[in-house]
Amino acid sequence: MTRNVDESTIVAGRLVREGQPAKPRLSRKHREWIAAALFLLPDALGLFVFLGIPMVLSLSMGFFDVSGFGQYTWVGLRNYREMFNDQLFLQSLKASAIYVVVLVPAIYCVGLGLALLVKQRIPFVGIFRGMFFLPYVISLVVIGLVWQFMLVDQLGVVNQLLANVGITGKSWLGDPKFALGTVLFVSVWFLMGYYMIIFLAGLQEIPREFYEAARLDGANSFQTFWGITIPLLKPTSFFVLLISTVTAVAGSQGFDLVYIMTKGGPANSTSLVVFYVYQQAFQYSHYGYAAAMASFLVVTLLILTTLLFIGTKGGRFDFD
Amino acid sequence: MKHEQHGPDRLISLSSPVSRRSVIKTGAAAAGTALTMPYFFSRTAAASSLKFWQFYAPGGSVKTQTQWWQDMVKAWNDQNATKVDLVYVPNSDYVNGSKLQTAFASGNGPDIFIISPGDFLRYYNGGVLVELTPYMDKAAIDDFYPDVIATRAVDGKIYGLPMEVEPMAMYYSLDAWQKAGLSDKDIPTTWEALLDVAQKLKKGNQFGVLFETGPGYYQNFTWYPFLWMTGNDIVNKDGKTSGMNTDGAAATLKLWQDTIKNGTAPRKSLGTGGSDVVGNLAAGYCAMQNLGIWGISALRENAPKFKYGVFKLPLPPSGKYVTIAGGWAFVANAKGQDPETAAKFCVWALGSMQQDSIQRVVDWCTKAKSDMPPRKSVLENANAAEVYNTGEMKVFKDEIFPGARGEPRVPPEVYKPVSDAIQATQLSGADPKQAGATAAQQIEKFLSTYTGASII
Repeated sequence: MTRNVDESTIVAGRLVREGQPAKPRLSRKHREWIAAALFLLPDALGLFVFLGIPMVLSLSMGFFDVSGFGQYTWVGLRNYREMFNDQLFLQSLKASAIYVVVLVPAIYCVGLGLALLVKQRIPFVGIFRGMFFLPYVISLVVIGLVWQFMLVDQLGVVNQLLANVGITGKSWLGDPKFALGTVLFVSVWFLMGYYMIIFLAGLQEIPREFYEAARLDGANSFQTFWGITIPLLKPTSFFVLLISTVTAVAGSQGFDLVYIMTKGGPANSTSLVVFYVYQQAFQYSHYGYAAAMASFLVVTLLILTTLLFIGTKGGRFDFD
Repeated sequence: MKHEQHGPDRLISLSSPVSRRSVIKTGAAAAGTALTMPYFFSRTAAASSLKFWQFYAPGGSVKTQTQWWQDMVKAWNDQNATKVDLVYVPNSDYVNGSKLQTAFASGNGPDIFIISPGDFLRYYNGGVLVELTPYMDKAAIDDFYPDVIATRAVDGKIYGLPMEVEPMAMYYSLDAWQKAGLSDKDIPTTWEALLDVAQKLKKGNQFGVLFETGPGYYQNFTWYPFLWMTGNDIVNKDGKTSGMNTDGAAATLKLWQDTIKNGTAPRKSLGTGGSDVVGNLAAGYCAMQNLGIWGISALRENAPKFKYGVFKLPLPPSGKYVTIAGGWAFVANAKGQDPETAAKFCVWALGSMQQDSIQRVVDWCTKAKSDMPPRKSVLENANAAEVYNTGEMKVFKDEIFPGARGEPRVPPEVYKPVSDAIQATQLSGADPKQAGATAAQQIEKFLSTYTGASII
């Protein structure tokens, strides 16, 4: 819209003299691009400063011997070569692999099971949902300390309860045979509420008509679950598998629970890669070596997530 | 009126419209100033005082210890232009955490801090420790027990001043002892007797004995004296070989393994770990506990009614008694803002022959804590003598401390193989001989290329 002001004209908010051509205004598409860029800028800056730069620095550090007191010595690929000759690193890789292979399906099953449970129209279901979600909002340090206390040899409440069914003398955190399993159990307990909520949202997206039609066709609960619920939960399942895989490899619970409950012991049985990287960096001052291992972990994670994308076709589902 | 003071021109400018651009400019300038001001303020503040990182004050949980630190700093600040500020770092962050390491890695290490012998080489080899010898009198240097100061010195030059000596011993519950029908005559003096007594003391949910089970520097620290008593060492005197592949090392690994195998020791301790006497021995979780002298003050403060006794570490067959003496030391940062004043502070606080310096160590070792002193003059002090001649402190002074050897300063490459050998045998049932041999091989591989300060 334009209006006359003396001998001048306002065009697109600009004062233009008579006789001078008005500058062309930006197209809608360009303005949207600029708006989008401005909205994204704060996040992009944050990611660049707090993720991008540290990631590049970390990748670079893997090629140096870093003293921890400001001295950097170029060592090329030595850190990477050492990594694959380091028995403790290989042992931590094995422990992490077991952790991922058990945690991801366990989280999927428990999260989905709880979601199906709290989707039911039962009294006080809101309280149950809150109870299952509660562990996720508690500090991992507190969780680690409480479980450590409950799992202590002989006197712990877990052992006291198990003694009633004839299971005695177990050291859940002090025996290499059980320690990783115990950390896994506590990890699942901590994460189950979060994934329950994700699955619950997915379940509520499934149109009720599908279930009604199946019921009219005489399908039982089992058939409904496998024929309707699971296929229509594919996008949610993809999200859960992706996030839980990343969480299992590099999630905070993998480090925090180990740090609090076992310190990587007994006999390195719970020394997951993230914990071993921490030890090498901050307990042994091998910053370059730790950076090399962290870089290896990032590449492994990238491969895993890419495979997941390929295997599930990006979580897309179709009705064919 | 305020407006009238500005005159008509100012009033006119205020009435003119304020453009968006000028608002943005002003806002950006204000934000920039706000962001940079704390930097200038913090640098200004930092330049006027030396930062002293430790885990006692001002946020510590034991009032007498916090007070000791605050009194010390107040006394210095009252007499000197360059002030010292105490910076409290929680123990978990300081001992096992990453705060100190990351501070040095980013070039922002504290001016003064405390370290244990286990950490000495990391900082010495990193070139961040100030030599304190030039600021000390010869009399003061001679006043420190040679074994105690040796772990903080390189080639006769002192880089850290110990504030305490914490020898390890065995504590036992008098109640559990009596219930098991044991008397003073049953106090074990050999490893074999220790295992036997532990078996007798195991009752219901109470374990007979507790050794540290968590992996880490502390577990190694508690294990070393048992190895030393067999006449072996993790690094031999030649500095190139390890004694971890000896029969003595295998026997030591087997001793701790046997306590787990026969069920007399737990695989996991209560409380904050094996160094926590209140959470374990006083709580009735075990009847004997391998522990340092700090247990006396911990029990005095937190379980005053608990009755206990202490005895020195039992001997292996044909072994010679040795115990380990840990403890923290003041050190000054060579890359800090004023290394010379930082060094002078350390010496003034703990390493001078002035009466206040000696009294400070007396107060720390006898009032704030229950530790053996690092200096001879402290034991000769009349007030301290009273403390060291009564109760369990007397046992420590007369029987346990005389066999003390300073905690070794081992780099991670030596510590870790030993730790793995202890963990593998104690908790995973590995063959002690094999585990020791593996550790020795790894240590010797490292020693063959090590070029830092002497480990032994």
